[in-house]
Amino acid sequence: MAVDLRLSCRIKQKPTTIYKEPDHLVTPGDVITTDTGFMRGHGTYMEDDKLYASVAGTVERVNKLICVQPLKSRYSGEVGDVVVGRIAEVGQKRWKVDTNSRLDSALLLSSVNLPGGELRRKTAEDELMMRQYLSEGDLISAEVQAVFHDGALSLHTRSLKYGKLSQGTLVKVSPSLVKRRKTHFHNLPCGASVIVGNNGYIWISPTVNEEADSTGGFVQDLNPVATADREVVARLHNCILAMARHRMMLSDTSIIYTYEASLAIGSLVKDLLKPEMESEVVTMARERLETES
Amino acid sequence: MAGVEVVSEQGFRTDGRKPNELRRIRCKQGVFSHADGSAYIEQGNTKVLATVYGPHEIRGSRSKALHDRAYVNCQFSMATFSTGERKQRPRGDRKSTEMTMHMKQTFEATILTQLYPRSQIDIFVEVLQADGGNFAACVNAATLALIDAGIPLKDYVCACTVGFVDDVTIVDINHLEETNHIAEFTVAMLPKSEQFVMLEMSSRLHLDHLSKVMDMATKACKDVHLVLDRAVRDHVSEVWQQLGNT
Amino acid sequence: MKDHPLSNCEEKFVLAAIAENRRFDGRGVYIYRPIVILYGHDRGCCHVQIGCTRVLAQVSCEVIIPKQTRPNEGVLHMNVELSPMACPSFEAGKQSDYGVEVNRALERLLRDSLCIDLESLCIMSGEKVWQIRVDVHVLNHDGNLIDCSSIAAIAALSHFRRPDVTVSGEEVTIHPLDEKDAVPLSVNHIPLSVTFAFFDQGRTLLVDPTDQEERVMDGKMVVGINKHRELCMLHVSGKMLVLQDQVVRCVNIAAARVGEITDLIKDTLEKDNAARKSGKEFGFAKCLADVILGVDDLLKHYVDSMSVDTTSVGQTAKTVVDADGNRVQMEVDNAETGNVSIKVPGTGKMSTNTEGGAVTWCEGEESDSDVILLDKNDSTSSEVSSKQVSAVVELSDSEEESVLMTSQDLERTELSKSRAIETRENRGGRCRGKSFGGRNRGKRGRGNGQRYF
Repeated sequence: MAVDLRLSCRIKQKPTTIYKEPDHLVTPGDVITTDTGFMRGHGTYMEDDKLYASVAGTVERVNKLICVQPLKSRYSGEVGDVVVGRIAEVGQKRWKVDTNSRLDSALLLSSVNLPGGELRRKTAEDELMMRQYLSEGDLISAEVQAVFHDGALSLHTRSLKYGKLSQGTLVKVSPSLVKRRKTHFHNLPCGASVIVGNNGYIWISPTVNEEADSTGGFVQDLNPVATADREVVARLHNCILAMARHRMMLSDTSIIYTYEASLAIGSLVKDLLKPEMESEVVTMARERLETES
Repeated sequence: MAGVEVVSEQGFRTDGRKPNELRRIRCKQGVFSHADGSAYIEQGNTKVLATVYGPHEIRGSRSKALHDRAYVNCQFSMATFSTGERKQRPRGDRKSTEMTMHMKQTFEATILTQLYPRSQIDIFVEVLQADGGNFAACVNAATLALIDAGIPLKDYVCACTVGFVDDVTIVDINHLEETNHIAEFTVAMLPKSEQFVMLEMSSRLHLDHLSKVMDMATKACKDVHLVLDRAVRDHVSEVWQQLGNT
Repeated sequence: MKDHPLSNCEEKFVLAAIAENRRFDGRGVYIYRPIVILYGHDRGCCHVQIGCTRVLAQVSCEVIIPKQTRPNEGVLHMNVELSPMACPSFEAGKQSDYGVEVNRALERLLRDSLCIDLESLCIMSGEKVWQIRVDVHVLNHDGNLIDCSSIAAIAALSHFRRPDVTVSGEEVTIHPLDEKDAVPLSVNHIPLSVTFAFFDQGRTLLVDPTDQEERVMDGKMVVGINKHRELCMLHVSGKMLVLQDQVVRCVNIAAARVGEITDLIKDTLEKDNAARKSGKEFGFAKCLADVILGVDDLLKHYVDSMSVDTTSVGQTAKTVVDADGNRVQMEVDNAETGNVSIKVPGTGKMSTNTEGGAVTWCEGEESDSDVILLDKNDSTSSEVSSKQVSAVVELSDSEEESVLMTSQDLERTELSKSRAIETRENRGGRCRGKSFGGRNRGKRGRGNGQRYF
């Protein structure tokens, strides 16, 4: 069994470049403005008629609204976002879903499709059988239906493309790397499908060529997956991790470019975990994105 | 205790610093990928790691949940290899519990907790090498970690230790000076408004010297703030570039 | 057991009162509650009382092997026990955060400020030293534990005598007390702590907060200082932000207070020493007896009635609903408010021009007869009470018969018994016990031995 060991002092240090400071960079405690005519948005607080920044980031001004966007923060949902989450708790008439946000999101029993058709009324029996549909530890994909006043999200899986996820890999990245797009479900040409959740949870699974059945996405397909498919999924997993480490924005095009770059340099799937391979693959993908945009 | 002179006649301390000189501070943000925020700081030979998780749903007992604010959970731990003699208990003894309480109190006063009702923010601090000023380094590291996690703060919390011996005020005490039973002040403050979040003092100090010592502490914390601010700005600029923005 | 929380209205009331610089026991903002220091029979045993907070400290000594890093210094070990006896919210065994806070504050105050000369505790360098152990037990918690514990600990340390030791070559002899007199510890200075409670973002400061004030405060600052104006310890807790000048102000106030307390400790120490030398009685039993007047009064508690300034208090009535059910704005005559005097902590007696109004609880004709009867007896009882020279008030509210009564009490009981029987017949025994007599009891002060049945 071969073990790959390396000393961190032997890794070639990348040259320390002086990065240019973005305009309007503020850190906590900085005064943004003393003009009282502005509305204060996220990342600011008012004291003694002065507007202070409370996070480190850049000031964004939209007409009269001033807010400061931090670089990294927990996911704060908006209606219409696609999220991938894990069931944390089964409660009375609702499931609590962990979605990498401030509070666990709620998936109400009335917001899911149950076997037997969409418009069936939820009976007391359904409540008792909740655990049979979704139990603790299951992964689901859902859409944000509403936001409660304290910031918790209310999810729904009322479309056939949402529901319990069966075989695949979950990758967790920062929510700030995922932009809002038209669609978050991508079937990549390499034979895998990717769900890019707005909350930073990304689901990679082999593409299943089945028609959507009427059971509403609760049946898990547990047939064995072929080795070739597994390799594709693993390679995608390492590519996404590499992109996250180098803070590259995630979208279907960037993921495909990174995957193709990893194939181009002919590396094995496991070699992608080495720092030099990572940076090479990511720089190649970045260059390609820039030339094509 | 006879023997070691804390400040020599030429005005230099045992490690060659002048009385009002801080030790060299080196820090890095974002050292861990799993935590929401993390930071590593070296103040001279004192090395501290801090990680922040949150705000997230309250784990464990729901009774801790506060309906109008976030619950701040801190843990101060010293690695068993951090001191000269192996420490028997990394955490749970009286001094660590006291440090944990001080940290909790410091950050509860600084974090804008009203924005996150019913959530929990965890701050974990580990001292890897203890060479004096442990608590101050922990507070500085935790501040950097909180800023890295994007949790809103009123201002930076900068902490420093100040001592008084032989009519000289010395700043940023190291372990050798600590063992000489000198009057020691540990101070954590918000540099912009000059408000003290935490004040601790041990040993004896005559009242007449109090204002002098407190002024020196204020100045030292402001110096620490400059260093930390520079580090945060560099980190933000670097990430900004990497995210593809110009 | 979880402590019951303070209700919202109590909290608001206390905060409003403090905002006007008024405290519930009428103290000034920088005044301590009465401090009582008692010494026990054994050397090193001290009992301190600040108001109702009580703490007992005991010092003991033992010979041990010194620490390797400090071979010729003795060891001072401090421990504060917060047992459920003091307050039900303290847990037995496990040390809560508050316990750690008190322990560490005391450790820093006494150990780190070097109040005891540790080198004098050395017997043989590197082999044998004295370990002095101070155990502080909190008996009753009514706020300000740190100050009370610090006074108890330092007084006990000053009171303690350790056995004398002679070293001849390699032989060490520890002399028992009958051979050689015990030797006092060398106390360098007497550090004491003063606790400040902060309210309203530091704008109002109170010294020596009671338990109620501690529950509503923003934060507290404990200043450890000795008589020579040397700062020994500073500790700020609670979620508040302090400015430098606030700290300086507190420290100066503390310096003034500490001088008085140090004198009190020295005074009591001298008295105790004198008592021991002259062969008089000493110890808790004797001291407690001196403090409380007379052995008969062990069950009773004599309090001077304190009067409360009511010049700024006026009656207000918002809206009054008259007989027809219409809301009417009523004018209130403030001249009717009378003087309020406090007889027992927690109750007040208000004397107004009119002896109360009509009973409006129970409807029907019986109420009229009640009123007549009550009024008649009121006049007699008020005469009786005015004859009483000392308002002996019993604190025991027990339902048992074994309640001490004076002869006047017995007279009144006869009166009330006859009255009670009449009214009970009238009302069919509807209003029983305490609730029936509630109004009158309030007038005469709590628990004066009246038995309504």
